[in-house]
Amino acid sequence: MNIPAGTIPTAKADKKIKINSELKTEFFRRYFRVVHGLFAVLILIQFLPDQLQTETYIFYVIWFAVGVEILTLILSAVIKKTASLNLFTDIVGFIYGLLIAWTLATAKFNLLKAALFPPPGKVFRQFINDYDKILVNIQSSVGIILQGYLLALIIAIPLGLFLGWNARLGSSATYISKFLGAIPPIVYIPYGIALLPTFKSVSVFVIFLATFWPVLSGTMSGVMNVEKKTIDSAKVLNVGKFTMLFSVILPASLQQIFIGCNQGLTVSFVLLTSAEMIGAQSGLGYYIKNYSDFGDYTRTIVGLIVVGIVIVIISFIFNSIQKYLLRWKQ
Amino acid sequence: MSKIEINHLTVDYTEKKKSFTALKDVSFSIEEGEFVSVIGSSGCGKSTLLSILEGINTPTDGEILINGEKIRGTGTDRGVVFQHYSLFPWMTARKNVAFGIKQVNHSASRSERYKIADEFLDKVGLEQFKNKYPSQLSGGMQQRVAIARALAMDTDILLMDEPFGAIDAKNRTILQELLLELWENATPRKTVVFVTHDIDEAILLSDKIVMMTANPGRVYRELKVPFDRPRNRSELVQTKEYNKFRNNLLSLFYSDIADKIGGEEVVL
Ligand SMILES: Nc1ncnc2c1ncn2[C@@H]1O[C@H](COP(=O)(O)OP(=O)(O)O)[C@@H](O)[C@H]1O
Ligand SMILES: [Mg+2]
Repeated sequence: MNIPAGTIPTAKADKKIKINSELKTEFFRRYFRVVHGLFAVLILIQFLPDQLQTETYIFYVIWFAVGVEILTLILSAVIKKTASLNLFTDIVGFIYGLLIAWTLATAKFNLLKAALFPPPGKVFRQFINDYDKILVNIQSSVGIILQGYLLALIIAIPLGLFLGWNARLGSSATYISKFLGAIPPIVYIPYGIALLPTFKSVSVFVIFLATFWPVLSGTMSGVMNVEKKTIDSAKVLNVGKFTMLFSVILPASLQQIFIGCNQGLTVSFVLLTSAEMIGAQSGLGYYIKNYSDFGDYTRTIVGLIVVGIVIVIISFIFNSIQKYLLRWKQ
Repeated sequence: MSKIEINHLTVDYTEKKKSFTALKDVSFSIEEGEFVSVIGSSGCGKSTLLSILEGINTPTDGEILINGEKIRGTGTDRGVVFQHYSLFPWMTARKNVAFGIKQVNHSASRSERYKIADEFLDKVGLEQFKNKYPSQLSGGMQQRVAIARALAMDTDILLMDEPFGAIDAKNRTILQELLLELWENATPRKTVVFVTHDIDEAILLSDKIVMMTANPGRVYRELKVPFDRPRNRSELVQTKEYNKFRNNLLSLFYSDIADKIGGEEVVL
């Protein structure tokens, strides 16, 4: 009896130490990351002597980096999943790395043509100064995309369900959609310009078409591929036609509908920014084109970054919606 | 008048211009509140027969009457459980059941439907899983949900096509007993057509067994199951009568096959 009585406290103490050290490694894993080292490097190099004649606005970079760093630390405490945290710090690390290279190549060593490659501080400053203008342009571009895109979804999905359902019952609607969908939407632009009064309405029209065909054919092939047993299961419940289409066929084809939606979104963005560069008086494509025409490459870079951010945000929203609506899939 | 009358049912499938007779002149009837099993080897047309009863398929010849009326298509008087788990994967267990209820009872509000759904999920022992999606449930659990849905729809007739065919032996036993209990305790009892190729399952559950034979699918024998209810599997299988009945059924099954091998027509 003596032996176990003696060993228990030791075992307990051992366990305590183990838990303690586990906590410590967990703490290290969360807060001691390469990304923070990159942050330190980024801050330090800002204080190297400038090689450029013009102002480099290092404090804009510093404030930006400090803001991102604080956010990273907060999220390090908040995010539970290691995988998500890793992804986030990887992205931040990439941004820091890019800023380090950018700072060194421009402000500090002047390796690139100064007129074409402004230092990062200048770009950040321009971003803040142009904030209002940028917002208006985002609104203009995103507004056009949303209008054309949503209009296309509202029409293409029900139509695709209806045509797909009838095609399943043996008609040849698929071929019509395949043929019309094969025409690249950009060729409709001249026709649209002749037909519609403003640049905006032409843009909405083109985005509508760019989205309409992939969504229509995605929906139709989704419907054609719904398993017979799913349809039989619904039939024996004696569902009405409307319920069959919208409560059974629609969710059953959702994955393929999303493929069409995704394709439409990508094409819409490319088309709109290109179109804005050609003929618009507003929008992100216009912003970029306009300032690069005037040789204002600081603003051109601001525009590029904004386009990137907008696309990332929209894809994120799109993916979240898709993930939510398909949450029942394994 | 019988609840269901199957009259001279013939079903031909045409594939690539070749016609195949899956059912030929099948006739039998089912009384109200009767539990009837249809057994027979694979390919003898059991599923075909049930698809006509379900209304998702139409016969080449003959007809089926329910309450004296010829069936045309699907109907709210029949609840169905398929072998493949017929749940909608995008609905939770509870929503699947509530969706079935909605199709037969348009006036019930959503909360009423959920209440009934919960009650039946409770009956099949799944109250804790009501918010799970089918992909999160085992095959046996999915089939419980399908049974709960069919029962919650409160149809006069239940049609089941090998509902436990894809479930492991242990869970199959549990589900058979669950179905037996739910059916025996309901008032009034539902009329059930139950397809199986498991002889023990057929004896345990049914009032009557319809044996079918293949090529083309026909009725081979109809047998009344002479055991009192409520039935208890473990007691029943120990009785002499049970084993006698079972052996009789088995020998019929094999004599059918022997007849086929001998090439002689079976006289019905
Ligand atoms: N849709 C169909 N088209 C052509 N032949 C079919 C079809 N469905 C079933 N069959 C054939 O009809 C016969 C009976 O099938 P089925 O009713 O599924 O039998 P069981 O359910 O008894 O196994 C089989 O030979 C099968 O191949
Ligand atoms: Mg079958």
